[in-house]
Amino acid sequence: MTLTSNERRVLDTLAERDEADAETLAEATGLGRGPVEGALSMLEEKGYVEVEETAETRYALTDEGSEYADDALPERRLHDYLVENDGATMDELRELDAFEIGIGHLRRKGWADVGETVEPNDAPRGDDEKALEALAEGEDADVPEMVVERGLVERVEERTVVAHLTDEGRAAAEKTTATEEKGELTHDDLASGDWKDATFADYNVEADAETTFGGREHILRQMANRVKEVMTSMGFQEMEGPHVDAEFYINDCLFMPQDHPARTHWDKFLLEEPTHIDELPDELVENVEKVHLEGAEGGDGYHSAWERDVARTLNLRGHTTSLSMRYLAQDVEPPARYFSVDKVYRNDTLDPTHLLEFFQIEGWVMARDLSVRDLMGTFVEFYSHFGIEDIEFKPHYNPYTEPSFEIFGEHPETGELIEIGNSGMFRREVLEPHGIDEDVEVMAWGLALERLLMLIYGFEDIRDVHGTLCDLELLREVPVLWE
Amino acid sequence: MAVVEVELEELSRLVGRDLSRDEAIDELFSLGVEFEGEGEDGLQFEVVPDRPDRLSVEGLARSLRYQFGDDRGVRVPNLGESDYTIRVEGVPERPYIVGAVVRDVDLSGGVLDSIIQLQEKLHATLGRRRSKGAIGVHDLTMLKGDEFVYRDVAPEEDTFVPLEIGGEQAREMTPGEVMDEHPVGKEYSRILEGADRVPAIYDDIGMFSFPPVINGKRTEVREDSRDLLIEMTGTDEWTVDKMLNILVYAFADRGATVEEVEVEYDDRRTLKPDLSTESKTVGHERIESMLGVELSAKEVVDYLERSGMDATVEASDDETVYDVTVPPYRTDVMHPLDVVDDIGRAYGFNEMEPRYPDVSTVGGLSDGTRLENAVRKQLVGLGFQDLLNFVLTNDDDCYGAMRRDAPDDAIRVANPYSEDYSVVRSWLLPSLVSVLANNTHREYPQNLAEVGFCAARDDDENTGVREETHVAAVVCGSDAGYEAAKSRLASLVEDFDAALETPATEHPSFIDGRAANVVIDGEEAGVIGEIHPEILAEREILQPVAAFEFEIDALR
Repeated sequence: MTLTSNERRVLDTLAERDEADAETLAEATGLGRGPVEGALSMLEEKGYVEVEETAETRYALTDEGSEYADDALPERRLHDYLVENDGATMDELRELDAFEIGIGHLRRKGWADVGETVEPNDAPRGDDEKALEALAEGEDADVPEMVVERGLVERVEERTVVAHLTDEGRAAAEKTTATEEKGELTHDDLASGDWKDATFADYNVEADAETTFGGREHILRQMANRVKEVMTSMGFQEMEGPHVDAEFYINDCLFMPQDHPARTHWDKFLLEEPTHIDELPDELVENVEKVHLEGAEGGDGYHSAWERDVARTLNLRGHTTSLSMRYLAQDVEPPARYFSVDKVYRNDTLDPTHLLEFFQIEGWVMARDLSVRDLMGTFVEFYSHFGIEDIEFKPHYNPYTEPSFEIFGEHPETGELIEIGNSGMFRREVLEPHGIDEDVEVMAWGLALERLLMLIYGFEDIRDVHGTLCDLELLREVPVLWE
Repeated sequence: MAVVEVELEELSRLVGRDLSRDEAIDELFSLGVEFEGEGEDGLQFEVVPDRPDRLSVEGLARSLRYQFGDDRGVRVPNLGESDYTIRVEGVPERPYIVGAVVRDVDLSGGVLDSIIQLQEKLHATLGRRRSKGAIGVHDLTMLKGDEFVYRDVAPEEDTFVPLEIGGEQAREMTPGEVMDEHPVGKEYSRILEGADRVPAIYDDIGMFSFPPVINGKRTEVREDSRDLLIEMTGTDEWTVDKMLNILVYAFADRGATVEEVEVEYDDRRTLKPDLSTESKTVGHERIESMLGVELSAKEVVDYLERSGMDATVEASDDETVYDVTVPPYRTDVMHPLDVVDDIGRAYGFNEMEPRYPDVSTVGGLSDGTRLENAVRKQLVGLGFQDLLNFVLTNDDDCYGAMRRDAPDDAIRVANPYSEDYSVVRSWLLPSLVSVLANNTHREYPQNLAEVGFCAARDDDENTGVREETHVAAVVCGSDAGYEAAKSRLASLVEDFDAALETPATEHPSFIDGRAANVVIDGEEAGVIGEIHPEILAEREILQPVAAFEFEIDALR
């Protein structure tokens, strides 16, 4: 009977030890587990080996399980406390670390009666506790199902393929002639032309292969580039500019009064050094100061003081609208569309949905006779690229736009109505200092890129993605963005 | 943003309609007032800061009455005359005072709490935490004489008995003692910090109020008080006028009568409250072009009246123009376009059909983005996982953990959120090392890269900050050595048709003898080497790491 070279290698290796599992054979032959299993099944058909396939269930403690194996189950700790402290109350228990997880189990197991005080009952050592201890010491254990369900122990299924050599197999192994049935195709085969006469051994093509982690673009970067693609396709030109900027561009040009609550210390990041910008354009500063104090034509100013030194204060920008102001200051002529997707900094909240620094999508359109309907139409178009339909516009207030709208859209998955942006028509007090004609309107909007990403991917904690606490596995495995 | 708590029953009564909870929430939402949740004493609503006149149940009810069409146009309460005057004897730090007398008010059944809430919200918003404007409300019957004096005193010059608040027993105190010892005084003493003299108000008996800090106990308002004196002091007369107007409207809406108080300065006399209206002129074309809808003059006037304004139409050959009267409690109408916003709201912005603007422009990416994307694409091709880390970091992660001292030109945040985020990063490798340290349980090799923002102080820049984009990469795993890093760096640099040299250097973050400068087209641009094992051991990274970092502009 003819053997392929893979079958020959497996058979010869097996002949050295009579019995071996596929894993050992794979290692010893240098073939993958797929080719080895393929060869084994062919050898079995030929009657040279007997193959036994078994699936073994193994148990392993999870992180939580090993913690309890060391410190006892939380309900045990609560019970111990009750035994040591007569007449303990629920409020007292609530102070204990074990309370949140432990109290439900304590009651379910009937280890205590809860009234005005919590009274302990008998609490014999349970199978779950025995199992945890045994596993922690590396022993076998009867693992009750509830321990697995509670996430304390993981069940690992291991498939083992064991092959025994038969007498016929031993005889065949002793024969030295193998046919030229090929395993790996080699350079020599190709160069010599031997491949023409060779037959190729069958592999087990269904066997698992090792996962390859190639390089890939960060998912938030993919999102940023997707947004940039949509923006440029809608005719928007990208802006660039400083992260550290003067309040003049961040706030004053936006007609934010200098005593506005959002401009007070707590919301912004100031620098130790440098603290002030060297130069601001004099003419624009005069114009901006004038609208703050006296208003735009036909209007009134604020009843707040305005100081150039405050305007010169440097911050890490709280929004990229500062870029829009810098571009408006460069005599942009209508019609124009500009955007940026860049970092902003807010000294506000750090939690699963808020970061101290995040990417803001900022866009604006400048043209003659734009109306709020044009603003709405632009956003309907933009959000439709991300599967967000049925947009609603809720009238809102911003110091620098009027009318202003919060934009609400339906969550593509849950259908709930959520805020997806803030928008409006820049006020005359914002445009007039740049000498922009009265019939020219500029509509603008902004939203957080992370919010869009979380919406589309359903991430619960943005810190898994953005920042040094990111999870490489998540970044490697999250599906790419293409729609 | 201010949150106002409102009892549904009270709201319904003031609106004059039987409102269900859902109706109230929906109707207020369409005014832009969002339901926040259940409070202890009612429903909580978030009021946007441009409408301080809505910071009370009275104000919300007034807006709803206009919304329902139950009220139309500008309403101004009638003002009676009174004999009361306030004489101002020069208070340079807080020069303005206004006042009003309110009679026949019924403060029982929660009304007092509602008024106190409005007062607090006005302090927090228009009053800029009392520094710009602060309100005092007094029981008029407890005041003696009809001429009050607003003047300044030395902090220890006089005494009065301040209100008992926060466990403080009523006792005779000087303003100085109030600022040092009284819980309210301690909170607001910042407004008067460093002042030689502080404001005080007197009647015939003596000092009864210490604005902007606290009122005296003698004139404390109770549920059974019927006649009140409101005084309001501040640094800006317009602001205190508006705060007083909002309060006066709230009392008038509850059926109280309001009387004027004369304020006497050295050089002028004036009657308060000042309920004069303001006017704005806006053209019909401007309204239509901003809203993108066609309207008749009649409709425009109708929408304005439903917003609580009045309008007269002045048609000429060229254009129809509206002379719009704005009620005295509005603080947000600064420009004629603010009137157009009210018309849009009354029309209903959600009734408007979106349209894509017929405006043609050419889009494109910035040079910076194009270069970054090209570099990132090559890095990914070389097998790197692209990363995005924070710009804000700290001295320890950015320098200490990398075995180096912070450079003199490092940028620090003066008011960090926490010490963990107190430095603006000047290089990227620390971020990549942190990601390695946080992912030691994940599969190796871990080849990571970042193209990102870095900054350093630089007096040559207008902002004093040099902002740069850096390119950094680490290879980490059993085969990660200097050569692994260099071969990838060389490939990347060649992709941009640039020449790479790597002359040896010393750098505390790398193993001695295995560190080099990255020199691109003859310019020093960065560093490459094997990360020092002390750094890795400290972070429990148990695989070798080789790394490089350079400034992206070197590839241009």
